[in-house]
Amino acid sequence: MFEKNHPPGPRSENEVLVAKDLRKFYGQREALKGLSFSLNAGRVLGFLGPNGAGKTTAIRILTTILEPDAGHFVVNGISSEHPEELRRKIGVLPESLGFHKQMTGLECLVFFGRLYGRSAAQARVTGLALLEEVALDRRSKSLVGTYSRGMRQRLGIARALVNDPSVLFLDEPTLGLDPRGQKELLDLIERIARERNVGVILCSHDLPEVESVCDDVLIMNLGQVVAAGTVAEVIGRTRRSAMQGNGIRIQVPLPAVAEARQILAAVTNVMNVTPAGDDAATQGPPFGAGWLRVEFADSTIVNLTENPYLNNRVLDALIRAEIPILGFEAERSRLQDVFLHLTEEALA
Amino acid sequence: MSNTHNLNNNPVELSGNTRMDSGTPTWWLVFVRELNELWMGGKAPVLLLIYSVLLGIMTYVMASNSELSLIPPQEMVYETLKAAIAVGLFISMIIGADAISGERERSTLESLLLTPTSRRQIVFGKFLAAISPWPVALAITIPYLKVLSQGDAVFAQAVPWGALLGTALSPAFTGMGILASFWSNSNKTSLFTGLGIYILFLLPTQLPGSAQTGTMGSLLQQVNPIAATNHFLSKVLVNNRHVGEFWPFLISPALFAALVYVLLFWYAGPSLRLEGGKASKFWVSVGRLIGFSVIACFMILLSTTPAMALQQEEQPQEPAAMSIEQMPLQITIDMAYKTVQQGDHIIYKTVVTNNGAAASPGLCLAMNIINLDAAGDIVDPEDWSPQRTQYIVSLAPGESATHTWRVNAILDGDYLVYTVVIPEPNGRDATSQVLASSGIHLTVTPFTKLNPGGVLPYAIGGPVVLVLGIIFLYRLRRRKIDMGGGTTESE
Repeated sequence: MFEKNHPPGPRSENEVLVAKDLRKFYGQREALKGLSFSLNAGRVLGFLGPNGAGKTTAIRILTTILEPDAGHFVVNGISSEHPEELRRKIGVLPESLGFHKQMTGLECLVFFGRLYGRSAAQARVTGLALLEEVALDRRSKSLVGTYSRGMRQRLGIARALVNDPSVLFLDEPTLGLDPRGQKELLDLIERIARERNVGVILCSHDLPEVESVCDDVLIMNLGQVVAAGTVAEVIGRTRRSAMQGNGIRIQVPLPAVAEARQILAAVTNVMNVTPAGDDAATQGPPFGAGWLRVEFADSTIVNLTENPYLNNRVLDALIRAEIPILGFEAERSRLQDVFLHLTEEALA
Repeated sequence: MSNTHNLNNNPVELSGNTRMDSGTPTWWLVFVRELNELWMGGKAPVLLLIYSVLLGIMTYVMASNSELSLIPPQEMVYETLKAAIAVGLFISMIIGADAISGERERSTLESLLLTPTSRRQIVFGKFLAAISPWPVALAITIPYLKVLSQGDAVFAQAVPWGALLGTALSPAFTGMGILASFWSNSNKTSLFTGLGIYILFLLPTQLPGSAQTGTMGSLLQQVNPIAATNHFLSKVLVNNRHVGEFWPFLISPALFAALVYVLLFWYAGPSLRLEGGKASKFWVSVGRLIGFSVIACFMILLSTTPAMALQQEEQPQEPAAMSIEQMPLQITIDMAYKTVQQGDHIIYKTVVTNNGAAASPGLCLAMNIINLDAAGDIVDPEDWSPQRTQYIVSLAPGESATHTWRVNAILDGDYLVYTVVIPEPNGRDATSQVLASSGIHLTVTPFTKLNPGGVLPYAIGGPVVLVLGIIFLYRLRRRKIDMGGGTTESE
């Protein structure tokens, strides 16, 4: 589920959003301390940060709801100095959704389509097509008030696409959805980014979700950016700088645990081999199985991306000793660990 | 339904990022949507239904009083029109106060602000939708005015004047409500503020009559748009005064409306924001100071004006020299007793004769009605008779004067009706002897009429027609939408 690592895209080409030194003050408090970043077309950027990090302020500035006190941004060539023009280039799914419940799904899309200057007929055609794209075509004549949360989220995405935007802002799009609904919506977001070549900014507190769908990630804390880059870059960079705990877990039959420990301890670069959890030891009928955690000697050098052959050597040692390998799991840092580490570090 | 889990893989081909202009102004789109929300959402129909029920009750009570000859048609029409405008303004204010802060609360404002539409046009569209209940309220009122006018020409005057003044004030109060909701983050705040402003305007019209006269009272009445409107209507409709005499009372409603429109569309409209914003401490303090000052002023006004009026009435009396002159006058009455039904009337005659050798001074004849039941209500003869007093300039020796009196039987019970003759005293330090007639023992039996003035069908029919109209609208809407589908996914 977390294996996705998109290659970094061309940073200077095809930029649909460039923000430079955005600042915002609320009285004496500086909520945004010089936010700068760019977003390429067809890529999904995860916009992360704990509560109070300045995420909402940043998004409200980028969607022209708030004016920055300093700095500016450009969306597809339109400067933030022309907010009305700029709004034609962006689509937004606010966290609150905010639908008029007395409208049907189609009426809602037609209304917004017309606000963007489409004729009634054009807006209707667009609305119907978008409803089909988000799989709400069979409920196009139902009142929005009768829609489930997931349906309203999908309608919200359709509404955000009604003007064919260059940048799509999605604020907690999977909030309140069941796992199936979450997966479908994330697939839809990914598809929109790729097929429409839209730059997507995804705000979410669900870090596995961000890791699964985003190409890039930007982590904010206390009004400033604490990490930015591709998901793999951010995880890798952070791990090298501070994080611990890279190794592998191997499951072997219970009677072979002791022997396996001995063999693995002798492999080059292996620092420590320890049983990994008592509960695992009783599992795996008919004879039971046990997990062993293999910790490498120098975690600042050895990791799965840079030295994958080390894992092969570990497994090869067990194969040569004819110890059955019942399970294998490569430990690696996750975005969640990075997020917690960076935000805690900033607090400290 | 199966469609909910099968997201389509074909993206919609749109016409790119080019700007498209359909020619339909934004305000019109917002207006149509708001209208739909207001009427199909049920808020406007419910408020108007309550309005029609209240109007029905008021009309019925008035018609009952009219049957008892308590209120002439002109006054009934005026009172109804006044109430219609007051309630109409209240409805306008409530709807206006919900326009922006309500959207903030329901989180629907953000999506609107994210579109490339002019803020002023959004406000204008909302404003137009918010004033839509007033014409309907006026239309509901017209049949009631018609039935209450009882064929009097006042109806032909009341409708255009009511429409004109209501149409000037109602949008202004809607605008006032929208302004209140402009800077409020919650509906509670904007409704409370709107209601406060409404009461502030309404308060002077509820002051005692004495407080509404005099320089200060008159100025207050002329400045306050509601009081000025009421005063103008009362003079034109009830007192049959010429419009030209009272046109200055139309200035304040017009100025008030102009001020609200300028504030709404020129000052506030373009700066419509997602957040209502917080006022600075300075402005909060200024607001509180103004609020407390206004309340204090009204309290002082309320407490002092009637007292001042009383002081004016109670002139210090010099002890008068008691020179009572016996006048050789006589009064006879042509009725001894009568039993009538409530709502009926009696007419009797009095004859005053001067039996003396000299001409009498000026004579005042006053009719009085006494409730013989000690526990009963005290009678105000002015409510019972159009001729409370009549005058005789002088009676020559041997001359007689006959007067006719009408008494309306307002309440059931046992009464004594009599007339007194009061000779004019010879000066400020003299008095005179009052002469009373024999009494008429008036017995009034109770009478109830279910349909006074034929008003009952209107009182009941108005709300019923409105309910039918609402049902018709809903059915019309249901045909256009799919009502069958509940939610197909878990929340």
